[in-house]
Amino acid sequence: MSLRTPLGRVLNHGAARSGVVSHWIVERVTGLALAPLSIWLLVQLLALPASDYASVTTWIAAGWNPVWLTLTVLLAAWHSWQGVQVVVEDYVHGFAAKTLLLLLSAFAHALVAASGVYAILHVAFRSTT
Amino acid sequence: MSAYEIVDHTYDVIVVGAGGAGLRATLGLAEAGLSTACVTKVFPTRSHTVAAQGGISAALGNMGEDDWRWHMYDTVKGSDWLGDQDAIELMCKHAMAAVIELEHYGLPFSRTEDGHIYQRPFGGMTTQYGKGIAQRTCAAADRTGHAMLHTLYQQSIRHQAEFFIEYFAIDLIMENGACRGVVALDLADGKVHRFRGQMTILATGGYGRAYFSCTGAHTCTGDGGGMVLRAGLPLEDMEFVQFHPTGIYGAGCLITEGARGEGGYLTNSQGERFMERYAPNAKDLASRDVVSRASTIEIREGRGVGPLKDHIYLHLEHLGPQVIHERLPGITETARIFAGVDVTREPIPILPTVHYNMGGVPCTMHAEAVTLRDGKEAVVPGLMTVGEAACVSVHGANRLGSNSLLDLVVFGREAALHCKRLLTAGAAQRPLPRDGAELALSRLDRLRHAHGSRPTAAIRLEMQKIMQADAAVFRTGETLAQGVDKLSRTFASFADVSVSDRGLIWNTDLVETLELENLLLQALATIHSAANRRESRGAHAREDFPERDDAHWLKHTLCWIDAQGGARFDYRPVHLNTLTNEVESFPPKARSY
Amino acid sequence: MAEFRLPANSRIDTRAGKHYPAPAGAKQVRVFRVYRFDPAAGGRPRVDSYALDMEQCGPMVLDALLKIKNEVDATLSLRRSCREGICGSCAMNINGVNTLACTRSCAELGSGDIRIYPLPHQPVLKDLVTDLSDFYAQYAAVKPWLKTRTPPPPDRERLQAKDDQLKIDRPSACILCACCSTSCPSYWWNSERYLGPAALLAAYRWIIDSRDEATGERLDMVEDAFRLYRCHTIMNCAEACPKDLNPARAIGHIKQMLAERQH
Repeated sequence: MSLRTPLGRVLNHGAARSGVVSHWIVERVTGLALAPLSIWLLVQLLALPASDYASVTTWIAAGWNPVWLTLTVLLAAWHSWQGVQVVVEDYVHGFAAKTLLLLLSAFAHALVAASGVYAILHVAFRSTT
Repeated sequence: MSAYEIVDHTYDVIVVGAGGAGLRATLGLAEAGLSTACVTKVFPTRSHTVAAQGGISAALGNMGEDDWRWHMYDTVKGSDWLGDQDAIELMCKHAMAAVIELEHYGLPFSRTEDGHIYQRPFGGMTTQYGKGIAQRTCAAADRTGHAMLHTLYQQSIRHQAEFFIEYFAIDLIMENGACRGVVALDLADGKVHRFRGQMTILATGGYGRAYFSCTGAHTCTGDGGGMVLRAGLPLEDMEFVQFHPTGIYGAGCLITEGARGEGGYLTNSQGERFMERYAPNAKDLASRDVVSRASTIEIREGRGVGPLKDHIYLHLEHLGPQVIHERLPGITETARIFAGVDVTREPIPILPTVHYNMGGVPCTMHAEAVTLRDGKEAVVPGLMTVGEAACVSVHGANRLGSNSLLDLVVFGREAALHCKRLLTAGAAQRPLPRDGAELALSRLDRLRHAHGSRPTAAIRLEMQKIMQADAAVFRTGETLAQGVDKLSRTFASFADVSVSDRGLIWNTDLVETLELENLLLQALATIHSAANRRESRGAHAREDFPERDDAHWLKHTLCWIDAQGGARFDYRPVHLNTLTNEVESFPPKARSY
Repeated sequence: MAEFRLPANSRIDTRAGKHYPAPAGAKQVRVFRVYRFDPAAGGRPRVDSYALDMEQCGPMVLDALLKIKNEVDATLSLRRSCREGICGSCAMNINGVNTLACTRSCAELGSGDIRIYPLPHQPVLKDLVTDLSDFYAQYAAVKPWLKTRTPPPPDRERLQAKDDQLKIDRPSACILCACCSTSCPSYWWNSERYLGPAALLAAYRWIIDSRDEATGERLDMVEDAFRLYRCHTIMNCAEACPKDLNPARAIGHIKQMLAERQH
């Protein structure tokens, strides 16, 4: 039981301000950008003549596809990172557990983003040579 | 008695009640640098001021020519000359400043096209001493009381006023005829708190719940009046109970007079706008007592509407959805929920319903409670009262609509200012008398363990039915005598009350029983006073004495109720003099609208 | 961690509930299942069921509760006052929805039993009475009063355009009943840091008041990942509000204003 006054508890450390508006905007902007990108991706995948290794890698390397794919991976990772952060903040309240989870999430998302980009570029450049 | 843990507090001033008047007083006291405790049985924004709809009167003249003297004349006439003209002058003259102060606090008043406070016509409010219809009632749509109460609470938070919320005040602490503070029960944990103060201000509101059907909240139990009577002090003008012409039939919820101010009108079963017959000039905007009597006569003469011909219609359909939506959104919702009526299409079934108590704790225009000592008027040291709990008297025998919110802020402020004049912040206070809390503690303990045969609710219902039947819009000596007799028996049966909740945490059974005792005392004062006054004046309409009798009754009733429920009367003169020479006194004359 | 289950001592003791049968000869019987908790008695909460004859009872849920209190079981505790939906006292959870007992008609609640619980996720003091101290503190925290530096005109009101007044007309109609905040899952999980819809609606009411001169300061106050941005537009608040206000929209507008002032 806390003996602090309710107002003291509510006012707490004050408003953090730093970066919260841009966090909110980033969530929306990445979401907005992902909408056409994910539709494009879905349509493209469905339109593939076959799903064997050769046809997929050929498709990845074709034309502007590596650019769109790179954007999709980066934006999806960014969007998910922001979203997971909110979920963690919602439900995990202890400072240590929360910080640990947020760090893990950041590293995991960075890893996913980097691997994705590397894979796309790898496929794209291998087939042009 | 040791079962109760007692907590002691000392403040300069204790305010009991956090409605409009209590909050305005608290706020003023905080500003004046006096340490103040505001003790309230409900969270401040739940107080019944919140339900006031139509507005607050002030001769701002935003919507046409106006003058506070006209406002004063209307109030005197509305009071049927029982109002004290010096106090009325003070109220009407300060009205403009009071409303502007509320606006400066941030109250969200409706606006005119050019950005001023919107004002609407209201019953009995005229220009040129009765010649024209005034637009004087400042409104925030049809929830002005809500806007006002919330604004005052917001200002109280801003001034860091100290509240004791959900504390039920049980009794005053009296010593040699002076008030030393108040004893209250903390509902959350059952601890008893003794508040010692240089001044105690009762802002406890009216006792509408003494009646079966009233517009008042369940919490309108006039606890201050009960405490005062138990302290051996009198109440004033208790026979004057206002019936609001437009309570919703059945539910009793209020439909603001502003509905008629915006152009609504009443009809009987023949579709006739009957108010034209009773008040050829003001019609539906006649004073409330006049309209309530007219409706009652229509019903009694068989021209009521509905299958039982027992109510009246209020029409708003002709105003059009635009006006209704903008000016009367709240009652649109209320009528839909409680009468099942779409006001843009159908009339609202309404009935005169108990609404306001003109009577209350007698006081000076500086809010100091008074009593008679050796036949002379004397201030009760340490006790003040404001709002509906008080009888200044600015409303006399009948209050005008929208003068109530004004009364709250003007006299709430006045009480604070007078405390500032009278008191020294932090002045040492003598210890409380040893037995100071005895009355409160013994009542609390007796009622908490009461195991009689009559549940609180049964006694309450009986009282409400008696008051509804025998102290109604029209009264006769015979019905009043019957009422006195029946009510005295009901009062006696309170000795046999039974309380089933023995706990101390949020024991609302106990609280309702404490409230019932307050109600019973004031119901007795009302019906005794009504039987005593042999004339008709304002809201007190005696069929056996249909005329106003200024020769004998141009005086305020003071009524004491003893422990056995017996009444004793004395009188206070009506102040026909004005406060200053800025206005001339209005001598009594015939009252017609 | 957020709590997804009630603590053991708060879970309903299903065997402890009492049943109060309808009076003999009752024709139109309706059962009210009411949450009961008496802190002094110790033990867990229970649900008592009261069978009432609806022909002898007023139309609203509050009428039924008061009938129970007056005629069946006087130990039931609840807050109530105005009985016309303006004081905000009798907010409670009725058939799973936060609302005011005084304006919710029994007939509109279908034909089954009516389940009545206190407002969710608030400490219960007794029966249907909850401790709203934090809720009120959140309201006070947004400094809900007019803040200006320009002195007001000495002898008249501040002017306000009719259109500007209309903007604050609805938001200022809030009755502080707490139906919205206590229906919000985000408020349940983070009520110590999220201000909740009611307090944010109050903040909004002053942010958009054309007379107020502290708009920026007010926006600063809510610019926080928790105070404001815990709103995930779940919209329970708009659904629950018995006055048909829309706190969610007000919160959306605040976020929009914060975004606008960035660029």
